Amino acid sequence: MSLVIKNLHARVKDGAPILNGINLEIPKGEVHAIMGPNGSGKSTLSKVLCGHPDYEVTDGSAELDGQNLFAMSVDERSRAGLFLAFQYPVEVPGVTNANFMRAALQARLPKGEEIDAVSFYKELRSKMKELGMDPKFTSRAVNEGFSGGEKKRNDILQMMMLNPSYAILDETDSGLDVDALRIVSEGVNAMRAPFRSFLVITHYKRLLDYIRPDVVHVLYKGQIVRTAGFELVEQIEERGFDFLKTTEA
Amino acid sequence: MDFPQNISMEEAFALAEAEAKLEAALQESRNRFTNARIPDRLNEDWRFGRPHQYATALAELLQGDTPSQGEASVLHAGAAAVPVSAADEDLKQTEMLMPTIGSDALLGLHLQRFGSGYALYIEEDTAEPIHLHYKTAGFYTPSTFIMVAPGVKAQVVEHHEGLSENAVLFATRNIQVAEGAELKLQLHSSCMQRYLCITDIQNMGGKVSQLTRHENHAWAREETVAEIYAPGSDIQLFSANLPTSSVLDQHTRQIHHTGGATSNLLYKNVLDGTATATFAGNIYVAPGAHHTDAYQSNRNLLLSEDATVNSLPGLEILADKVRCSHGSATAPVNEEQLFYLLSRGIPRDEAISLLAQGFIDDVIEKFNN
Ligand SMILES: Nc1ncnc2c1ncn2[C@@H]1O[C@H](COP(=O)(O)OP(=O)(O)OP(=O)(O)O)[C@@H](O)[C@H]1O
Ligand SMILES: [Mg+2]
Repeated sequence: MSLVIKNLHARVKDGAPILNGINLEIPKGEVHAIMGPNGSGKSTLSKVLCGHPDYEVTDGSAELDGQNLFAMSVDERSRAGLFLAFQYPVEVPGVTNANFMRAALQARLPKGEEIDAVSFYKELRSKMKELGMDPKFTSRAVNEGFSGGEKKRNDILQMMMLNPSYAILDETDSGLDVDALRIVSEGVNAMRAPFRSFLVITHYKRLLDYIRPDVVHVLYKGQIVRTAGFELVEQIEERGFDFLKTTEA
Repeated sequence: MDFPQNISMEEAFALAEAEAKLEAALQESRNRFTNARIPDRLNEDWRFGRPHQYATALAELLQGDTPSQGEASVLHAGAAAVPVSAADEDLKQTEMLMPTIGSDALLGLHLQRFGSGYALYIEEDTAEPIHLHYKTAGFYTPSTFIMVAPGVKAQVVEHHEGLSENAVLFATRNIQVAEGAELKLQLHSSCMQRYLCITDIQNMGGKVSQLTRHENHAWAREETVAEIYAPGSDIQLFSANLPTSSVLDQHTRQIHHTGGATSNLLYKNVLDGTATATFAGNIYVAPGAHHTDAYQSNRNLLLSEDATVNSLPGLEILADKVRCSHGSATAPVNEEQLFYLLSRGIPRDEAISLLAQGFIDDVIEKFNN
């Protein structure tokens, strides 16, 4: 059981290629990290996996527990267990956080079954408490007027409610204050399990000090150019991406 | 005319003059009706309203001998509610003097069919909203009169409901709000083959806020004229409509006869399929009506490529020191928002209906404060 990406090529629709043959396998139970310079394609990779309409897959494949990801619609991928915490979570005016979460959970129930409102609110409240979020956020429109850090926490709240089997966190640490970073990391660590894996995209070691990855990849110009253990994080922290130049040569 | 006993000469003259004025106005109204044409496309106010398909058919029904049949009922009104009768000349005169936005001929025909509905004389605060229900499976021409006494706080909810595929309802509503009074008014209309509602709100220094919602009509037209007659008046007009009607034709006028008052309008529609929505609004500030604040905004959300919107906001300002603005915007569903909902596993249809509901919810919230 794993997320397997083979020779993935993708581009902006009718535009320039961004992903140029990505190979990646994330078995269940593991935490992988992706690092890489700005513009190398990290967010594009995560959005392509979720089926964002801006992008077009031109070659390669992605399988989620043996299912062809690219044959599924965006919402089917989510219900199949894929989750993306966005680098820039979207504001949805008019739709309250509670209604949004409720609709997402309702969509996971068999036809004819109704979500139990009481236990839903109870769970939502307790997860919010865990993340240090004010209960008022339940009735506020999704991310509308939220601060940068509040948006990030809200995405993590959604992850906790939806219990995905593959969670991609795209720079969840950016915008979080030191306390929030610890709280969110603890939340993620609490969710680590043999039946779940994480792909953590970040620029900074401090997040990976909390969420210790099993494997670290470097993405550069739309390709995975290096894969190693935690020592790679330390190397990048000390010397940046200068080693990429020699890779390129 | 009969003069009251024991009045001075001056009072008698004043009375006679007022009577003469009213008589002249009524005569003018009668002429207005005789000269009025059944709406056609040459009528600016009916340009997008499919007059040939709907206005003509409505006029035929009004002129023909199809009986006007419907059910009128009222809830929680106590002594305030009086069934409307064709014998009540005062009410007929009130209707005769109503302004329309292009439907003079139809109003004239409505007068001939006058005879059903309710008058609400509200002289005490309402503990709970008064509900008026007009229902029909056929053809129905009800009238509503609402008068709110000085300083009184009232809530009224009006329901116009079609009970069959062929339901046709043409309602008129006359609303008068006295100084210091507050009226919260809702109009819910649904399920008509043809629906026309002509409303005149006269504000003499009170606060009026109205929310209209139109659902599941094959064709619906709303004409709402809001008139301000005294400083300190405030009128808030709201409308929120989901993508269920094929033709929705809304015409509004905010008329500031006097200054020192505010009016505000927010109409939002969601459209799908081949639906058409027209919004034609006008703010009129009379000469000398200084220190007026008047706003108007129409917003539309398109769920399909084939839906069309005609949005025609307008201003006519003949006074100074006026703050007015109008705006309109029409856009399809925001792709990033839709993707966000989909990415959480919400099926496409459900996601779109959440966004559509979200689009109009702020109107309902603003109405509810
Ligand atoms: N929708 C789009 N339209 C045009 N260009 C795009 C689009 N999406 C991504 N790109 C381009 O593709 C490249 C990769 O972008 P991406 O957001 O994936 O980078 P990233 O690795 O996440 O960078 P960062 O670390 O800054 O978040 C960039 O040059 C970006 O400008
Ligand atoms: Mg990025």
